[in-house]
Amino acid sequence: MLPLPATLIAAGLMPLLADGGQFARIVESLERNLLTPIPLCFLLGIICTRIHGGIKIPKELYYSIAIFLLMSIGFIGGHELADEYQAHGVSTIWKPALVTLLLGCVTPITSYVVLRYLGGMSIADSAGIAAHYGSTSAVTFAVANSFVEQTQHPADSFLPTLVTILECPGIAIALVIGAAFSARERAAKAAASGRPVKESKLGEALYEVMTGQSIMLMAGLLVIGFVSTLFMPEKGLEPFLEFFKSKGMLFRGVLCIFLLEMGLVAGEKLGDLVKVGPFLVAFGILMPLLHGFLGVYLGHLAGLNLGGCTVFGAIVSSASYIAAPPAVRLTLPEANPTLSITAALAITFPFNIAFGIPIYFEMAKWVGAQ
Amino acid sequence: MQLYPLKLVTIVGETLIMEEIAEEGIKLGATGFTLVDVIGKGSRSARNVSFAGEAKTRKLEFVVPADVAVAILTFVSHNYFEHYACIAWLSDVAVVRGEQYVVKR
Repeated sequence: MLPLPATLIAAGLMPLLADGGQFARIVESLERNLLTPIPLCFLLGIICTRIHGGIKIPKELYYSIAIFLLMSIGFIGGHELADEYQAHGVSTIWKPALVTLLLGCVTPITSYVVLRYLGGMSIADSAGIAAHYGSTSAVTFAVANSFVEQTQHPADSFLPTLVTILECPGIAIALVIGAAFSARERAAKAAASGRPVKESKLGEALYEVMTGQSIMLMAGLLVIGFVSTLFMPEKGLEPFLEFFKSKGMLFRGVLCIFLLEMGLVAGEKLGDLVKVGPFLVAFGILMPLLHGFLGVYLGHLAGLNLGGCTVFGAIVSSASYIAAPPAVRLTLPEANPTLSITAALAITFPFNIAFGIPIYFEMAKWVGAQ
Repeated sequence: MQLYPLKLVTIVGETLIMEEIAEEGIKLGATGFTLVDVIGKGSRSARNVSFAGEAKTRKLEFVVPADVAVAILTFVSHNYFEHYACIAWLSDVAVVRGEQYVVKR
């Protein structure tokens, strides 16, 4: 049997490389992505932390930008969804939405199986990390969206809707797997110590995810964007679109500041790479490639365009590091958060920003998306 | 001025669990609590995670009679010490208007 990394590469990347000229095209896409302000700001953040440089982004600014980005993704998504709805009804949207739900259920299970049975990790750690990889990262969506806009292949308008659909099921499924499989262990432990079994906080954790900032802002603004596009005159809507638009200078500019802060945080987490071990480092790179390929391929089958497949691959492959950590901590306290947060934030996020997105773009071309 | 001898229970730990401990403290007989965001470092503080916008670590204090203090500390040690970053200690304090801190049963 092939070792795990080779197997995953074979599943995710080899079909692409089998085509001779494909490799050169991937390298070209990588160059086109890497030498742009957004990933370079992220890199600057990492370098600054590693050399103990003096960049400090005030926490309040970071949270304000996060709010703006989520509102913007939601509002523009809702606006474009309304346009799509007026033009085609729900005919173009239902298939991608269904595929998103399906992948939201599949990715935590594949992650759990790989971590538990190939990596030999504990039930709680496997389920905890799987919850992160089953959910998605809105910032990865924003960066992927900017990338496809720069390459003149804008994604389908309803992608933000798919991001909100993808956020919850993955966390829920992984936590249910973890809670179910570790219930016996907990009961045995409780019997040995003579104390009652602790109540599971699964319901509370899922409620926190559903009503957390990312979902409330993104889904809320999606509805607001949708409703106001249908009922407001175009002239009245213009200033809002101007303020929130993802192609606009405000969005791109603040995304750079946000990525700079993400780089500062990821730089700190890089030190934890030694603690998590080579298996998790390989997992953090290869699992996104596999999930990304699944996303691109199924997205293509569901009718997404080239940009849409690329962004969809990026969001399916990405790991949550905002909504998932507290939900996992509440439900599976025995899971070590250093493992999941390091994998999501210090391995998968930088990989996707620098290499993953252009690779998904080439994958999308390879599967025939247009 | 009369001072009342009471106990100060201090718990420093992950933000995620502190409100739950505060509520349980009230159920166990405390008349109130103080909860503040803090910054610190400990052997397990790398584990701290929180919801967006919240501090990662909080300090919780109760001024209570000795029996309530023991009940709170027992609850915390049984439920949180194993898996969460959390520390708790007890101090003797002399409190003005101490009768405020005793639940009339």
